[in-house]
Amino acid sequence: MRWSSINKKINNVPTHIIIIFTLIIWIVPTLGLLLTSIRPLPAINTTGWWTVLSAPRGMKTYEQACASCHGQDGKLLTAADLTNPDIVKKYPRSTQLTALLQKEINGQPHLGMTPLPEAQESADIAAYMKRLSNLDKTPKITLNNYVDAIVGYRGTQTYTEDCKTGKQSLDLKCNLSDLVNPRGMGRAFLNSLIVTLPATFLPILFAAFAGFAFAWLDFKGRFLLFAVLVGLQVVPLQMTLVPISRMYAQLGLNGTFIAVWLFHTGFGLPYAIYLMRNFLGGLPRELFEAAYLDGASHWTAFTRLAIPLALPAIASLGIFQFLWVWNDLLVALVFLGGSKPVMTYQIGNMVTSLGAGWQLLTAAAFLSMLLPMVVFFALQRYFIRGMMAGAVKG
Amino acid sequence: MNKKIKVLVGLLLAGMLIAACAPVATPAPTQAPAPTEPPAPAPTDVPVAPEIDCMGTASGDEISMLYQWSGNEEENLNKILAPFVETCGIVLKPESTRDQALLDTRVKAGTPPDITFWNVTQLTQYKDLLVAMPDLGVNADNYADYWKAIGTVDGKWLGLPVKADPKTLVWYNPANFAAAGYAVPASWADLDALVEKMVADGKVPWSMGMESGDATGWTGSDFIQDILLVTQGPEYVMGIINGTVSYDDPGVKAAYEIYGKWAADAKYTVGGAQGTLSTSFLNAIHKVFSDPAEAMMVKQSGFAGGEVKATYPDLAYGPDYDFFGVPGAKGLQGGSDWMMAFSDKPAVKALVAYLSSAKGGKMWAEVGFDLTPNMAGADAYTDPALLKKAQLLANATGFTPDIGDSIPGGFGSAEWKAIVDYLNGGNLDAALTAAAAVQAEALNK
Repeated sequence: MRWSSINKKINNVPTHIIIIFTLIIWIVPTLGLLLTSIRPLPAINTTGWWTVLSAPRGMKTYEQACASCHGQDGKLLTAADLTNPDIVKKYPRSTQLTALLQKEINGQPHLGMTPLPEAQESADIAAYMKRLSNLDKTPKITLNNYVDAIVGYRGTQTYTEDCKTGKQSLDLKCNLSDLVNPRGMGRAFLNSLIVTLPATFLPILFAAFAGFAFAWLDFKGRFLLFAVLVGLQVVPLQMTLVPISRMYAQLGLNGTFIAVWLFHTGFGLPYAIYLMRNFLGGLPRELFEAAYLDGASHWTAFTRLAIPLALPAIASLGIFQFLWVWNDLLVALVFLGGSKPVMTYQIGNMVTSLGAGWQLLTAAAFLSMLLPMVVFFALQRYFIRGMMAGAVKG
Repeated sequence: MNKKIKVLVGLLLAGMLIAACAPVATPAPTQAPAPTEPPAPAPTDVPVAPEIDCMGTASGDEISMLYQWSGNEEENLNKILAPFVETCGIVLKPESTRDQALLDTRVKAGTPPDITFWNVTQLTQYKDLLVAMPDLGVNADNYADYWKAIGTVDGKWLGLPVKADPKTLVWYNPANFAAAGYAVPASWADLDALVEKMVADGKVPWSMGMESGDATGWTGSDFIQDILLVTQGPEYVMGIINGTVSYDDPGVKAAYEIYGKWAADAKYTVGGAQGTLSTSFLNAIHKVFSDPAEAMMVKQSGFAGGEVKATYPDLAYGPDYDFFGVPGAKGLQGGSDWMMAFSDKPAVKALVAYLSSAKGGKMWAEVGFDLTPNMAGADAYTDPALLKKAQLLANATGFTPDIGDSIPGGFGSAEWKAIVDYLNGGNLDAALTAAAAVQAEALNK
């Protein structure tokens, strides 16, 4: 191997380390959240997500202290069959188990020469005995959190369990219609989609028109108008919530999708126009002159020339606007609120004010991430290209 | 144009079309079933006064409401309101948020909800906009005088207390207490002795974790308020709320020192000061009921029972987890939720009448959404833990709302900051002086 290529490899090492480090920093918490979202609540509350693949609690301690007499499977002694729930039920926790182990059996110490286990070990053995005897049937992995989040379950058990016993809440029917229960993430997904698609499409449409006009149509004061429009980006949207809410109240728009579409279109336009104008303005003038010479109208030049060439810019705008609207809570909360709940709104509603039910939150968070990830991966090659759009002229 | 793009645009347009039509197809979240025709009364029936007075509401009338409840709490509210919704055919338009800015935005924009369930401070904040309870046909006889007093601003009774959550409780594991030979303390001196005995036995008495995001410190402020109820009494606590007692008073300082002795020492609480500051309040509950238990007691309001049940499904209320009132407390501390009305339309009147009626109080107690201040519900609790709490409330010589919730202008945060600073080793006098300044500004503006 030549020195130069070895040098090159070594030069790349720091970059690779930084990239891998960043990846780990981002992926570990996400992985933790994902694993948490597929665990049942008692498991989440008592052990960390990294224990999901380890042996059941207490198995090792049991094998050291008990397996020699009771057997690996607990069935060796028929008089003290540890798979019999009726026997194990009497020693649910370390206090009862330790008391039992302190007693003598037939004049001999229960454990023979083995020292009495510590409280922690005793608790672990008790927990493992509950597994052996099938008293503790909590599964390691469950989809219940996702089901409960999608249907908007609000009880204290799980949706499947409640439906089996017929104790489900008033607004659940235990059939497919629960998928669009107004309190669930299923309906929220639809609502988010209904909000996001037009709120992405409309600003891009108007920005394409406006960008073309600012770039290629000659009219008086277009630079001033453009500067004013771009300057509008500095208006913080929080400032306008109250006045616009008042306006909407007069027009009867509060709580309708139109309200959010208009709001997002309005606030998305300045940046969108800026980006489109710069991109379209960077196209070669000769191209348009040739088209006009051949008799093209502005409309033809726009649809046949500008739009196909501006696809990367449109795609990147689309991603930005889509992610922004999809992840927006404030606007949706103020103008839609609970009447047409979107995903960001509904995620917060999974937990009570005192934090109960937060296992649903992990599942709900993942559900809300699904579509943005699909969009991002589908359009990511436009992403970088689009960020450069309009940045360099020529 | 590219074919793909055409398809995409077509899809988008179709989506918008569907969306535009969607509102029509969207059922209201808690749509009332059409009121059923009342069955023809049997001829021998003696006419009885209807349990629910609809106040002449038309079927299909709407009530928009905004509250902080979500999850299981929302479910409870729906169950409580179900008979009312069915009888009167009212359609509820509920919205849930814990962000008070939303309520403020709606009110400022001139589009407040018809009713809201919020904290007692909002009674003062919106006193000019709220409709007084007597104008809405409240059944005043069902409420104790101290409740009416808390809900009265400038001589007008503006809010209906709907939910009370006594916090002056200590949760413990009776099995662990029995195994170690401990008895439930009957007085503050007993509790102090018990704590010392636990330490001598090598056990950790308290689990005091208080981490709760940007609300970190609230379990600490609850604890200190309970200590104040023991050492000073309810009048003193109300004095802090009214501003007659400054927050840097020696009595408050003494309570902080009692609290700090426990909360900052690893002998008395799990993890010492750092454990108190960084353990989440939910985790703090688990530590008392885990196996083996890390601590013997946790001071927490009623929701701790539900949290224990959800985390350790094999534990049973009574033998495995139970609570006692903070011994020696003269009066109770509790959170309370208040219904306030921005509208006096018939549907709202009917709702106020229902919630304050005997039927409403009983429903609230049966569903078991904490306690109802409505006296008609006093003996209707089915849950043993709630029943015990209701007895505590009934025997209480006074009820003090949470200090932080009751002083407007962010005093709650100032209180929490004082506690966190103190536990972090800061100067107690300085921390209390800073909190007292916020208190003075909020109350004497």
